[in-house]
Amino acid sequence: MRFLRRAVPLVWGLAMGIALCGNVYAKDETSRLAALNQRVKAIAEETTQVEAITRIQRLGRAFGYYTDKGYFGEAADLFTEDGTFQWGVDGIYKGKARIRELLTRHGGGSMKEAPGLPFGRLNLRMQLQPMVTIAADGKSAQARWREWGLLGQYRKVATWGDAIVEDRYVNDNGVWKIAARAYYLNFEAPYQGGWAKLQPVPGSNWQSDVAKAFPPDAPATQQYAPFPTVFVPPYHYADGNLRAIQSRPPVDAPKRPDDALGRLEALADARELALGRAHSVRAIENLQAMYGYYIDKGQWKKAAALFSKQGTYEFGQSGVYVGNASVERGLSLMGPAGLEAGQLNNYVMVQPIIHVAPDNRTAKARWRSDVQLARAGQGRWGGGVYENEYVNDAGTWKFSKLHYYVTFWGDYDAGWAAKPIAMDPPSTTNPPDKPPTVVYESFPKLQVVPYHYLNPVSGKPNTVE
Amino acid sequence: MRHFTNRISVRLLSGVLAAASVLVGSVAYAAPSTADLAAVEKQLNALGDRITRLQDMTDVEIVQHAYGYYVDKGQWRSLSELFSEDATLEIGGKGVFTGRPRVFQYMAEAFGLGGPKTGSLIDHQQFQCLPTIHEDGVTAEIRCIAFVMSSGGWGHNYYEDDFVKKDGVWQFKKLHGPFNMYSGYKLGWFDQVIVNTFPEKFLPFPDLPPTVIYLTYPSYYIEPFHYPNPVTGKAMPAPSPRAGGEAFGR
Repeated sequence: MRFLRRAVPLVWGLAMGIALCGNVYAKDETSRLAALNQRVKAIAEETTQVEAITRIQRLGRAFGYYTDKGYFGEAADLFTEDGTFQWGVDGIYKGKARIRELLTRHGGGSMKEAPGLPFGRLNLRMQLQPMVTIAADGKSAQARWREWGLLGQYRKVATWGDAIVEDRYVNDNGVWKIAARAYYLNFEAPYQGGWAKLQPVPGSNWQSDVAKAFPPDAPATQQYAPFPTVFVPPYHYADGNLRAIQSRPPVDAPKRPDDALGRLEALADARELALGRAHSVRAIENLQAMYGYYIDKGQWKKAAALFSKQGTYEFGQSGVYVGNASVERGLSLMGPAGLEAGQLNNYVMVQPIIHVAPDNRTAKARWRSDVQLARAGQGRWGGGVYENEYVNDAGTWKFSKLHYYVTFWGDYDAGWAAKPIAMDPPSTTNPPDKPPTVVYESFPKLQVVPYHYLNPVSGKPNTVE
Repeated sequence: MRHFTNRISVRLLSGVLAAASVLVGSVAYAAPSTADLAAVEKQLNALGDRITRLQDMTDVEIVQHAYGYYVDKGQWRSLSELFSEDATLEIGGKGVFTGRPRVFQYMAEAFGLGGPKTGSLIDHQQFQCLPTIHEDGVTAEIRCIAFVMSSGGWGHNYYEDDFVKKDGVWQFKKLHGPFNMYSGYKLGWFDQVIVNTFPEKFLPFPDLPPTVIYLTYPSYYIEPFHYPNPVTGKAMPAPSPRAGGEAFGR
């Protein structure tokens, strides 16, 4: 009896002890579940952010496809109701109806007709090289684009167009729309003679004919002179915001416990890695675009800062420059910092094939550039292929290797077929750190730039023919 | 007295422990339920689908961009491997070639084997790709531009291509690339247009006739968009019947 009376409370105490320990274990599981739910929330937010980048890219591309073929109302519909369009230094047009008319007048369309263009009208406005920054709250975004135009009227006029665009976007209940487009026209140059033969425009007196007949609703936010004056349209990332070129930092996922929660924790690890890699693809698209926009305007130091500490830069047959300071030296082979008056240095960045490593630490990409140059009144076309490598530096992507293989250089007036131009040998006044890694000649000689990838579908090596 | 004390202390101890466990238990330290875990798994699976879509968009662009790089250097075998066994190819006005072997034959016979040819630039650049992955996750469409810089001059064309995902690998199901504007270098589109191709223009003859008759620059044709307006969701309206004519806008 006495034993029982003493045993009961002992057992009771033991049961309470076990329950308390069990509760501690349950508390641990509860906090694991809470942590897991936090991770799920963060994965969802980042997925939405990466999806937003693709939606912004889609908006800009759709805009181009509409304006190409006289679908100006449909292009204007991509804007918010009170959206604005600033055309060069002409001024700002407000609201979709005004934007539709603006695009129609510049594009040669008709306000009376269903979509289309008249016989002989060319209004090709390629929307290229997007550099997209989604705001942290997911409610707004900005992007820098390049518009490359083939414009004209058959047997009347043929023109090259070049512009930098800075867009602002808003997320209107899940639908991304253009809130404001700033179209910094750089030049409209006649096909004969091209941009190199353009004369400086005095002051800011270069209002378009369209603006004279169709005045804007408000003056432009800033005046500038077109090419051959070198003007740098403001960057939406001038404050040093590097969100666009950032992704998940590399992590080694820990080994998870072998229980139900552990299996979900491991699943979250896999999602984070896959998402990080998808995010990295876009970060690298943005990085290449950012680099290209700096090169356009001779901003060698800013471009060189996008390389890792031991990053390498190799252009044509100029040799290899190693490390940020050297890369800056190598870039300066293109001209003085900020370019000289009348210098055009457009390197259009297009056609990416980006492969991020399974661990999200490095990446390789093939890119192409078309090149529009002008210097001392001489114009030049160029083309080439990059095979680059990138590194994820604690979440910010950087170039570890940039290698531009020149396909061709050609005199503007005669063309590349009639008057190809050979590559420069390594500079003796500003020599590289290492000689060229591959020795080759450019057009009229042609060779296959080595691929970093096997055939994307068959997985087989790339064939010679 | 000791017996009384023992009973009090035992009861006191039990009471304290009982109170403590009630307190501890009341702060919701139950182990996660099956329902809790199922909810997390469901969310992670849904996110997995969305992340896969993001990778799908990159993968179809890779196939399209790879096509362009292979064309540049006459790598016709590699190019044909980008196509599904039963894919079709229609470029310009040449008509339709059906099946992967015919894709290879068209390229090899029309443009020659042996890789790139000295002095013959044929850069077929792939710009501005707008991919749409369908809900089923195994079909997709893309609109792109082919911008050609060649020894002959300029070319600007649109693609409206279809893709299929077979055994996890995205590949061309249909390449449809009508010409838009071709012109020689000397005068460009001012007055040196190059006309569209047609089935008999050069060998090989196609397997099927062209799917659509259209006019290139300086006339007007719009290859229909596979996607609705990204903002309004509206389908594309037909162009004016007067588009491309002198009467347009009058």
